[in-house]
Amino acid sequence: MELDQIKAEAEKRVSQIISQKDLENWRVKYLGRKSELSLFFDSLKNLPFQLRKTQGNKANQVRQFLFSLYQQKKQNLEKKQSDFESFDLTRPGEKIKKGHLHPLTLVLREIIHSFEKIGFEVVEGPEIETDYYNFDALRIPENHPARDMWDTFWIKSKVLPAQVGKSQKSKLLLRTHTSPMQIRYMEKHQPPFRIIIPGKCFRFEATDVHHEFQFHQVEGLMVGENISLANFKFIIREVIEDIFKHQVELRFRPSYFPFVTPGLEVDIKIKSKSNDEWLEIMGAGMVHPQLFKNIGYEANQWQGFAFGLGVERIAMIKYGIVDIRLFFGSDIRFLGQF
Amino acid sequence: MKFSFEWLKELVKFKESSEKLAELLTLYLAETKVSFRGTRAILDIDLLPNRVADVSGHFGLAREISAILNKGFNYPQPEFKEEKETAKSWITITIKSPYCRRYVARTIWHVKVKSSPQWLKERLEDCGLKPINNIVDAANYAMLLTGQPLHVFDFQKIAFNKKKKKEIIIRQAKKGEQITTLERKPYQLKENNLLICDTKQPLALAGIKGGLAAELDKDTQLIIIESANFDGANIHLTSKELGLKTDASWRFEHHLDPDLTAYAVDILAQIIQQVAGGEILKGKIDVINYSSHKIVIPINFTSWGKFLGWSISREEIIKKLRLLGFSVIERKKYLLVKPPLYRNDIERDEDVIGEVARLQGFDQIPSLSPKEEVIFPVKNELWEFKEKIKDWLRVYRLEEVYNYSLISQKDKEILAKDWQSKLIALANPISDLFCYLRPTLLLNFLKNINDNFRFTDKIKFFEIGEIYHWATKEKEETVFGGILAKKEKILKQPLFYEAKGIIEGIITDLGIDKDDYSIKSIEKTEYFSILEKGMALYVKNQLLGVVGIPKKNFLKKYDVEGEVAFWEIKILPLMALEQAEREYEPLPQYPAAIRDVSFIIKKDILIDKILKTIQESASYLEDVDLFDIYEGENLPFGKQSLSFHLIFRSSEKTLKAEEIDKEMKKIYKALQQLGALIR
Repeated sequence: MELDQIKAEAEKRVSQIISQKDLENWRVKYLGRKSELSLFFDSLKNLPFQLRKTQGNKANQVRQFLFSLYQQKKQNLEKKQSDFESFDLTRPGEKIKKGHLHPLTLVLREIIHSFEKIGFEVVEGPEIETDYYNFDALRIPENHPARDMWDTFWIKSKVLPAQVGKSQKSKLLLRTHTSPMQIRYMEKHQPPFRIIIPGKCFRFEATDVHHEFQFHQVEGLMVGENISLANFKFIIREVIEDIFKHQVELRFRPSYFPFVTPGLEVDIKIKSKSNDEWLEIMGAGMVHPQLFKNIGYEANQWQGFAFGLGVERIAMIKYGIVDIRLFFGSDIRFLGQF
Repeated sequence: MKFSFEWLKELVKFKESSEKLAELLTLYLAETKVSFRGTRAILDIDLLPNRVADVSGHFGLAREISAILNKGFNYPQPEFKEEKETAKSWITITIKSPYCRRYVARTIWHVKVKSSPQWLKERLEDCGLKPINNIVDAANYAMLLTGQPLHVFDFQKIAFNKKKKKEIIIRQAKKGEQITTLERKPYQLKENNLLICDTKQPLALAGIKGGLAAELDKDTQLIIIESANFDGANIHLTSKELGLKTDASWRFEHHLDPDLTAYAVDILAQIIQQVAGGEILKGKIDVINYSSHKIVIPINFTSWGKFLGWSISREEIIKKLRLLGFSVIERKKYLLVKPPLYRNDIERDEDVIGEVARLQGFDQIPSLSPKEEVIFPVKNELWEFKEKIKDWLRVYRLEEVYNYSLISQKDKEILAKDWQSKLIALANPISDLFCYLRPTLLLNFLKNINDNFRFTDKIKFFEIGEIYHWATKEKEETVFGGILAKKEKILKQPLFYEAKGIIEGIITDLGIDKDDYSIKSIEKTEYFSILEKGMALYVKNQLLGVVGIPKKNFLKKYDVEGEVAFWEIKILPLMALEQAEREYEPLPQYPAAIRDVSFIIKKDILIDKILKTIQESASYLEDVDLFDIYEGENLPFGKQSLSFHLIFRSSEKTLKAEEIDKEMKKIYKALQQLGALIR
């Protein structure tokens, strides 16, 4: 075959190539050791010198031309490949492993954040309490039916002989609510103040979908010269609406706790759920004046409100969790969702 | 508590449907739900403890509904015929205990015990009571109406006293005394238990349950009906001691109004005459053993606005109070408010003001922003510290858990004596599974591993919470703990070093200096009985916490197979070490040169020793960083190969290669003296 013919054919063929494999076949055919061009070079040695030189030059030019065709095509193909194959937008991103905070931590943070916006301070108290702080100081006397509202885990006393008399006075228990910290705080501080007390509480209660013997509360206490029932409604409404991003309705109704008067209960309903029930989230009321008196505050000078918010309850409503036991089950399939 | 909707409607004559009424009661009194018995609506009201005394009867509830609906309510007057013969000539009552505050009785002769009429049975059943016979049912019916528990004795079964009268004595039990109640169950009594007796024997456990001795039977004709008032706390205690809780005891516990007794006994007489016939003897025997404390509460008109935050007109206040049965005397600047006797929960201004707000509707009343000075809240350092640690541990790819604070009997058994002796036990656990307070986070963590190995091969959990023990005065201590676990077991214990790395990372993040704490073996700590090996961090002589590998028998006990590392660090001392102010370090002016060195050395030469040797042997060393440890087949037994990055830098010049070579030679020499074979 004539050189020009080889050149024309190769050029025509290369334009039709669309894959790397075909290009490699093309290379073998036109530039390989057994290609016609190669055979042509081999045949040169039999030619006279002058002819050998001119034909050789020409063949070299053809080879260079074909090689550049090859290079160019190769680049084109690679470029096309990276455009269409290596950059797939639909391919999943790399999975980045991360840790998770517990949903109760997340919800507690939201609650606290909302209260902090309006100047509430975070205070904590002990989980092992005395019956004085948990009950008596809160006007919940022994052998009074009101005490039955708080089923209690008592602690087996470990009394040293020297303490026998003393220990009778205050029995130890696991706090049934965060309210004892109201007293502990007031014993050490003068109003005005506004505090919230997050913490773990315990009730002597069998565990099921709705009940846990261990749960969390956020207690609140705001005392000043003129903190009124209307102020209570305002602050609770603002905070609960903030926590639920204004997707919630509130309802205030009567309740009873010996350490407040009057006592109230706060229910909420999620707006987006049309036929949903009212859900109880908080017990509250105006601080009973007897508490101030027992603390030793000046009579008739201070008034305010207190409340106890159920944290699991808020988390269940927020995340649609139906089984309270999941919070303490430490199941990685649950924890990984938050 | 169940109430009949029809019955209430008869008493109040309202137009509201049962659902509407339930909604009103929920908003103004207590949470109420509607259910049905056939076509008859039943209201189930979750009465608040302070309102049991006055709303637990249909009359009381009717009065409350009337107030809510802005209507008045009058108690119906009992109507019945009395005989000429007086009850007094046949019975006498003696109260011998302060726990009985009032005792009222009547006598009815020639009743006929039989089955109750249908309407009576229906009312009882609607309210959750079982019909028995017309006399007992009448007593229960009267209780449902008035809220006052009532009891009926067989007149003929009561002993005559010396004066030939039936004498009823209310006294406390004698030591060792016993009573058999109506369901034929004997109870051993204590001296604080209150009894209704005749001169010979106990007839009833006061306020709780009737006795067998004077029980009605089908032949009973002559009866004594009693209506009494007892001390709530005493009844509560007896009921608790004997484990005998009845409808009556529950009502008495809530401190009923002693004045209710006389009214209720008349209502009962009327109903018995209606359903069982009989002749009511003239008059009641009524022994009063208390002085009623009528209270008058003066309340300034200014108090209302101050306490509630909005103003209510005088007229409105007075109207609402009267609807609730309060009597009110108006003065120029204040009101004299007398709460009705059945409202023993009303003791002071705030109670009265609260009642008016309640009747206005807690849901209706205004909500107003406080007009307070701005108080800048003080930061709670501890709370924020804990939250910060949580955020960091999350970044270290750990999952936060909230485990139970309680551990089981079995958990206790694995602990060594010293740990067992400081365990805090519950006096009344729910079950063996939760009976001690956790002394460490480890035990529940080990349970977590087993639970989760079904779903994953590697676990990285942490918790910040309390551990509890008798060892300190506070009895509780906040710690942050973590557990790392892997199903496959590798001899080199890399999880321990991962755990150590996390703790070191946190410590560095807190800006704590290496000189502020020291590391020792755990052998001298209490943790040595739960951990196989590990390190203890100390601040001065105080234990800050431990990082280690749990003992094999612990892993076996909790069915954990694989590798585990654990830590537990006390939060308060850790926080005390935190460097609040951190100073910026100027960026270096001259470049660093990095050289690597690898060598084979005996395993028993501690890394700490090697690091010190390197650092002390050369100048310009800014950092020494261990990046590879190899021990394996190609190395002689007991040896390992270590590789370090050595970072050289001068603060005055760019170091030349020859200068660094010189330092490297010193390092080689020092390492060789330690027995290292430089590779």
